[in-house]
Amino acid sequence: MEVGQLQRSFVEYMASLFREGFLDAQFSQLQQLQDDSNPDFVVEVVSLFFEDSERLLNDLTMALDQPNVDFKQVDAHVHQLKGSSSSVGAQRVKNCCVPFRNCCEEQNTETCLRCLQQIKQEYLLVKNKLQTLFELEQQIVAAGGAIPMVQ
Amino acid sequence: MVSMSGDVATCKSEATVVTDHFPVGLRVLVVDDDVVCLRIIEQMLRRCKYSVTTCTQAMVALSLLREKRGTFDIVLSDVHMPDMDGFKLLELVGLEMDLPVIMMSGDGRTNLVMRGVQHGACDYLIKPIRDEELKNIWQHVVRKRYNSSKEPECSGSLDDNDRYKRGSDDAECASSVIEGADGVLKPQKKKRETKEEEDTEMENDDPSTTKKPRVVWSVELHQQFVSAVNQLGIDKAVPKRILELMNVPGLTRENVASHLQENQKFRLYLKRLSGVVQQQGGLPSTFCGPIEQNSEHGSLGRFDIQALAASGQIPPETLTALHAELLGRSTSNLVLPAVEIQNLLQASLQQAKCIPVDQVMAYGQPLLKCPPSISNSKHLSQAILSAEDVHSGFGSQRAKNICLGPSSNPIELAAPNSNMLMAMMQQQQWQKQQQMELQHRQSGPPVVNHSINVQPSCLVLPSQLPGNFQVGDSPASISHASSLSKSSVIDYGVLSPQSNNSSGVVQVLDRELKPECGLNRLPSGGSLSRSCSINADNSVGLQLHNSSSAFGSSKQLPALIPNHLGSPVPYYINSSQVLDQGHMRNSGVGKCASIPSRFAVDESDSPMCNFNTAKIYLEETKVKQEPNMNVMENAKVGPAIFQTFQPGDLMSVFGD
Repeated sequence: MEVGQLQRSFVEYMASLFREGFLDAQFSQLQQLQDDSNPDFVVEVVSLFFEDSERLLNDLTMALDQPNVDFKQVDAHVHQLKGSSSSVGAQRVKNCCVPFRNCCEEQNTETCLRCLQQIKQEYLLVKNKLQTLFELEQQIVAAGGAIPMVQ
Repeated sequence: MVSMSGDVATCKSEATVVTDHFPVGLRVLVVDDDVVCLRIIEQMLRRCKYSVTTCTQAMVALSLLREKRGTFDIVLSDVHMPDMDGFKLLELVGLEMDLPVIMMSGDGRTNLVMRGVQHGACDYLIKPIRDEELKNIWQHVVRKRYNSSKEPECSGSLDDNDRYKRGSDDAECASSVIEGADGVLKPQKKKRETKEEEDTEMENDDPSTTKKPRVVWSVELHQQFVSAVNQLGIDKAVPKRILELMNVPGLTRENVASHLQENQKFRLYLKRLSGVVQQQGGLPSTFCGPIEQNSEHGSLGRFDIQALAASGQIPPETLTALHAELLGRSTSNLVLPAVEIQNLLQASLQQAKCIPVDQVMAYGQPLLKCPPSISNSKHLSQAILSAEDVHSGFGSQRAKNICLGPSSNPIELAAPNSNMLMAMMQQQQWQKQQQMELQHRQSGPPVVNHSINVQPSCLVLPSQLPGNFQVGDSPASISHASSLSKSSVIDYGVLSPQSNNSSGVVQVLDRELKPECGLNRLPSGGSLSRSCSINADNSVGLQLHNSSSAFGSSKQLPALIPNHLGSPVPYYINSSQVLDQGHMRNSGVGKCASIPSRFAVDESDSPMCNFNTAKIYLEETKVKQEPNMNVMENAKVGPAIFQTFQPGDLMSVFGD
């Protein structure tokens, strides 16, 4: 694919992510924070987010798998997940956290498990999308083009 | 140093005004267990040109803050953290370091925000945080300092207020103690310097003098002044008579009056601190006083001294008496055995000294004046660290006690103590010098006269006071200090022959005065190493700066910070380097003081060794070695450099 095409695909893809609510304005902030001294900032932060989220999701799974669920602990995990997802702009993941916390308050394991399931799905979705986005970026760069700024 | 009286007003306004580069270099510590948020906030802060240090654990953050007092201007902390509740951290920081703390949380429920407010948070940010919100966090630093400086009655001397304000002007004034040291920010340095100079000028309550062309009180001139006063006797040392005796063409009565006033104020200040005008027993009364006083009046209000100093209403008798003391009428007072000094220092340090650094500064006296501009580079932070160490070595209590003035920076607080000590030492030296000089008027190197003669032995050096210093560092660091002091000593020129003895304090100052960058900057990357190399160039600057002893020694009296810092030493070096050679020169006395202030007394907390606990600061430790080398080199250069100092600077330093 030639550079122009790649760039157009990139822009469109990015726009769709925003449109569909996968990403929000916070992600744009990340993009703006990227500069010459931190050229891979977005990728770096998103990677951190992936790692952190997967760890949290594992912890959540384990916590909810206990005979006696420690809901405070679960709530703490969810809270953190909410924080990090909101910081990177993973809007749909963040939105799942709110009902999750409510379930924790109610100390309902079942509903919590359902929330967990949903969060995992959203997480995997946004992870996939972002990875696709980064690949597009790489292709553009490889083809000698510049990454267009999407606002 | 020539300050403009008019500047005072400017200073004042500037005190709360951001310097050109302010708040660039604001030193922020961010604590959040969420690495994603941490990274993002870090980047945002970097974009704001702040100096960022990150932590994922509250305990680490706390130890960082404790170990390196004065290296941060503000703390951002998450509310929910696994090892410690954010509010708890908030409380502790507010209590121990008196730094502004901003809370962050993804949870923005009112009750939580309320808790934050109740625990003393300056602000509460809700995640996700936008960079616009972070841009303005500097206001909390300024506000806090400003309010602090306003608390005590800063009546009287504008300088005091300015000092405080300056110190509080965020990073810039981080170290009000540091003469001319512009706290953390580089630009601050200049500002501070100016301020310092202005302050000293402002010391004179005599409006006429402030407006007149400045008279540079050279060493010789001061000598004449001193001898004239001595001749007249305290009671009769009125400006007119002094002027007559001095017989210096072009010198006006007002010049003399203001000079007298400056000295007296300082002396009065000391006197009041100690409650004893005359002290026998080997300590210069004026200088011993404060120290001893400290132990007795540990509770001395933060701004008490300031008030004292500030109040222009000093009875002439007291003034003259103080002045006489200052001038070392009684030789016995001048000679303070190193041991005694140490003891005094220790004693004083034991107590929380609420000697506002500014106060000390105000008098521009021998008090250590840290290099005026401690740029906010990492070096600065290092210096700060060392300063802190120093203080801790002294066993000073909470930095807070050492009220260095408005600055909430504990480091600054610490400085006063060291300043006092330094001042004492310096005074002693100075007086000794004076006497010697008087005896051999024309003999000896001219330089001898001015330098505060900080005898290395007199300085509280780690080597001398090993017990006191809490510097957990290895002896190596101490030696660093020693070498440092040597250089600084040399700077004084006077000490050149003796410079070899000097240890620690002076040296430390030199180091700290590294012109490179702000002492107090703890680089997030932990690169303290910056200014480790004390070059000859630096040494010059250092010397000037280091002469905390305002004894008119080299312009830049390096802050005589007891060198008991083990590891901190390297930091000092940096800071001194940062302290700006250039700035120091101008500010003279004041500068040095700032350094000490920077090094807030590290209250009993973690010994210096803990330095390395913060991973971020690991790098710092590496730096240690360098300065030593340089210091020595500088030492050699010292005397020569010293010679180049303008006598006026020395004098002014003293006169500050």
